Amino acid sequence: MPAARSHLHRLFTAAVLLVAATTSVVSAQERSGSVSFMVFGDPAELAAYEALVDAFEEREPGIDVQLIHIPSASDYRARLGADFAAGDPADVVLINYRRYAPFAAMGVLEPLAPYLRASEVISASDLYQAATEPFTWRGQLMCIPQNISSLVVYYDRDLFDTAGLAYPTDDWTWDEFLAAAKALTRDLDGDGTTDQYGVGIEPSIFRLAPFVWANGGELVVLESGQRPVRLALDSRASREAVEWFVALQTEHGVVPSAVAAAARDDASRFLDGTTAMYFDSRRFTPTARTIDSFAWDVAALPVGRERAGILHSDAYCMAAATEDKDAAWAFIEFANSPEGQAIVARTGRTVPSLRAVAESDAFLDLAASPANSRVWLDTIDSLGAVPVMAGWVDVEELTGDELERAFYGQVGVDEAIDAMVTRTLPFFAGEEG
Amino acid sequence: MLLPYLVGSLLLVGLPALLSAVLAFTSYDALSPPVFVGFTNFRLLAADPIVGTALLNTLFFIVLAVPLRVLGALGLALLLSRPRRGIGGYRAAVYLPTVIPDMAFALIWLWIFNPLFGPLNMVLGLFGLPGPGWLADADTARFPFVIMAAFQIGEGFVILLAALRGLSGEVFEAGAIDGAGRWAAFRYLTLPLLVPWLVLLTVRDVIVGLGWTFTPSYVMTGGDPYYATTFLPLLVYEEAFDRFRFGMGSALMLVMFLLSVALIGAIYLFFRRRGYVADV
Repeated sequence: MPAARSHLHRLFTAAVLLVAATTSVVSAQERSGSVSFMVFGDPAELAAYEALVDAFEEREPGIDVQLIHIPSASDYRARLGADFAAGDPADVVLINYRRYAPFAAMGVLEPLAPYLRASEVISASDLYQAATEPFTWRGQLMCIPQNISSLVVYYDRDLFDTAGLAYPTDDWTWDEFLAAAKALTRDLDGDGTTDQYGVGIEPSIFRLAPFVWANGGELVVLESGQRPVRLALDSRASREAVEWFVALQTEHGVVPSAVAAAARDDASRFLDGTTAMYFDSRRFTPTARTIDSFAWDVAALPVGRERAGILHSDAYCMAAATEDKDAAWAFIEFANSPEGQAIVARTGRTVPSLRAVAESDAFLDLAASPANSRVWLDTIDSLGAVPVMAGWVDVEELTGDELERAFYGQVGVDEAIDAMVTRTLPFFAGEEG
Repeated sequence: MLLPYLVGSLLLVGLPALLSAVLAFTSYDALSPPVFVGFTNFRLLAADPIVGTALLNTLFFIVLAVPLRVLGALGLALLLSRPRRGIGGYRAAVYLPTVIPDMAFALIWLWIFNPLFGPLNMVLGLFGLPGPGWLADADTARFPFVIMAAFQIGEGFVILLAALRGLSGEVFEAGAIDGAGRWAAFRYLTLPLLVPWLVLLTVRDVIVGLGWTFTPSYVMTGGDPYYATTFLPLLVYEEAFDRFRFGMGSALMLVMFLLSVALIGAIYLFFRRRGYVADV
């Protein structure tokens, strides 16, 4: 009897292996083709996607992935537009939620909701809703978000130690932030010019937005609670936030002046240890991991009247013109599987949009900087998102021009706000929300 | 023998230019079919203050850079026209900046004009002079473009060098017999004889100069600070490829074309009034 059972067991095992092998062969036969995949970012980010592509090609040897890398974000946008216009875009492209609406409105993206519903690897419920919502265009999920990053404060622990300051806490306030910024802004050689800045932050509406929300203000006026109709920066709470933000430079001088900013950008100043607190998303982490001259960590944004943050999320989108949609989906599905997201998360590039990976060592590994990676997860509930609308790229560009002038003291805050509201009005016309 | 060039010009320059002119009267995002909108694009351009700023910036550049480049090429050609020891090295030094790729040329100057860490302001500092903000200051941001352009004069320099060597020695000998000194010989003999070349270079520089600002403004400033370095070519690019408004971009291209025609017409009139029209 035991011999018979053993024989049966061997037979069963062989059958299972045979089925598995057959499935594998069928799978390998079914999954063949080629996919072009376009990304942007610095060399550290490129390395993350190269690792992803290598793992995918190992898993799916029949599918060849051609990685197209555009270093600059602005060049990437131009390339996307030109490629779509030429009718020859990459099969899979990474697009930020602030940028995909024009393409969705033009119908050049393949909606991915049906693919996700049919997937046996991932499902919508595995992903943070805060990440999928902005990629939902007219009720349909268009792209699969790779991350749920947000704006945080990268800070130089050594400079805090030197100044005798306590590290930022999870609930530090605007006043505490400003006090630290002032203490960290220093003229080190006594020549009358600032050598070390407390803060590095870009004067853009995307950086300003969480401060507006934290002050109880709104970024845009919504009609019927849905359709954005104009900027709301002229409301009292929003105006106060803009004034506070601008005063960081004009009044307190804790941020580099226009000339100093032109001479060296904020990221470089943080990397060389001459800026103590630098505002950026998780995207900066792979670059920050190259720092070996000082210790650093990340902190949540300082809390105003309420806690607020801003979503930074990119997604894998499929071009509607893609010929081999099965191969393209196979790559997107792998990239957003627990295995795929873990590969990119380990490089530091992303805050995974898959809950399971976000809560795993792939992201929260205590041995890898920053030590406080959990801050990205702890603040998800307080994240806001800018409106998803075709004209938002123009809105950001125009408001950036006007805000910059106020930030560097060339015009008053009122004038800048009036210009921002007035100049952006045409881009809200016709938006459906 | 010239047929391939004619066909190439028609297909690669003429036809796209014609299509662009047609697109100027449409609303076109390159993904949906173009929609005819008449003169709407031109009305929108006329109402947009940024277009006016870009136009003035472009004229500022042309008015300063073109004379500087032509006179610079002339001065250096006169200085380096006579054979002497090591002259080849000097001539090569004048020509060298012209062969540097545009992108690299812009990045080099971005470093030179860095207001805090650039060598230019450091040198000024050695003499106790305050360094301007250059590209970071709206009041000074356009000047670096003129200065940069003044260094890429190799082609004009070579043309004038060849022109100078082609001048008849007999004319100058006759001038010397009539008592003409060096200045008089230059003013009344060399300069008039070079007029056709100078006109050619000026017209060429106006045409080239209208597009020249694109790479440096794209690489160095992106049009900042506050549109101080937004020149027409950059605006055309932004309208078409950043905002997918190819109709507006084409309309701006047409404006640029008309501007170049107007400027060339003005140059023609300038020389005609001075009696050089037969040479031109």
